Amino acid sequence: MSCRQSRKLFGASWDDELTQAEREWLEAHFASCASCRTEYEEWTRTLEMMESLPRVEVAPGLAERSLAKARRQPAAADRFPAHVVRWIPITATAALLATAGAMVAQWSGIVSLGSNTRVETPVVREPSLVTEATPSDTPRPSVSRSASESTLSRADGTLAALPDSLLDQGEDVEFILDAMTLHKGRAHPASRLSPTPVRGEQAVITF
Amino acid sequence: MPPDRDSVSAPILSLSDEDLMGRVAEGDERAFSELVRRYQGRVVNLVSRVLNDRECSDDLAQEVFVRVFVHRRNYRRGSKFSTWLFTIAANLAKNEIRRRVRRRNWFSLDALQEMVSDSASQLADPTEGQEVALQRQQLQRAVGQAIATVPEKYRLALVLRDIEGFAYEEIGHMLGIPGGTVRSRINRARMMLKRRLRPLLRKEETP
Repeated sequence: MSCRQSRKLFGASWDDELTQAEREWLEAHFASCASCRTEYEEWTRTLEMMESLPRVEVAPGLAERSLAKARRQPAAADRFPAHVVRWIPITATAALLATAGAMVAQWSGIVSLGSNTRVETPVVREPSLVTEATPSDTPRPSVSRSASESTLSRADGTLAALPDSLLDQGEDVEFILDAMTLHKGRAHPASRLSPTPVRGEQAVITF
Repeated sequence: MPPDRDSVSAPILSLSDEDLMGRVAEGDERAFSELVRRYQGRVVNLVSRVLNDRECSDDLAQEVFVRVFVHRRNYRRGSKFSTWLFTIAANLAKNEIRRRVRRRNWFSLDALQEMVSDSASQLADPTEGQEVALQRQQLQRAVGQAIATVPEKYRLALVLRDIEGFAYEEIGHMLGIPGGTVRSRINRARMMLKRRLRPLLRKEETP
């Protein structure tokens, strides 16, 4: 065993933490190495001197003086007060519930969009409705409600599945056809919207 | 009729440190006084050996106990009271060392060498009539000042271990460092101390 290795064991030897094998090893080394033996003796002597230092005497009245001074100072706040610790998960739970509630409300809102929520008809209906629903001798052609619903049913299966009560009946939506294609009294024959002529001042589709 | 003095003091004396601190947290000043009585010697000794300043150690020890009382609500129930107390003491001692270093108010190595040489010559050649107690005092002063020249981060660990006798793991908690680091710091501190006291040790061994 080298001297360097033996000196690494000084601390453990002093603390009585050496294994039996280490202790025998160290003693064998000391027997053959005067330098390490002297070094160890100095080491232990140093620690003995330190341990033998007398205890410092306490001046009387330390408790009273400490208490008197402490009374003049306000008690420090609890760094981790219990109520704050309790509130952390409660706040997190509240936030989670609020988020979940908002999601549920949004979802159920789609289903219960009943009487007070307008259903936005998503598409402009095909202009061919005009020709279908408007007889040629009617002065102000309009698409009847039943025609509109039947068209919706055809156009969008989802809307067709909705009950009638869900559809907005309070407000009409008007689509005025392109003025370039309909002229007063007679539709332009070249209209790209309808191959057949449409008569009337204005074509209005009402939903 | 006032309660019998013994019946009141008996429970306090029989309580553990942790139970006493629990009472202090509720503002019990008698429990605080009992804790001061139990620990004042060790706290004063620690501070005194770390700073090598007897006069200052009383004031600093008082500050340690003031902090215990002021921060009583930050004591975590279930944790070891002595570890908490000496963590406060070590922190205050550390702050004081640093304050002294900033003010260049510390014991120099040169002064130590001079003192060690004086002590060594007195030990090697005691004059007739010189009392053994005085020699011992001189030796102890030299050892105390040798400790004070060890760098702060090694010194605290050294004093906590070799003078106050704390376990490595406990010192690690007090200083906020791992157990392995505590061991290496203490070993380095012991080596430094031995080197500084070597002249004294060799003279002392001379018959």
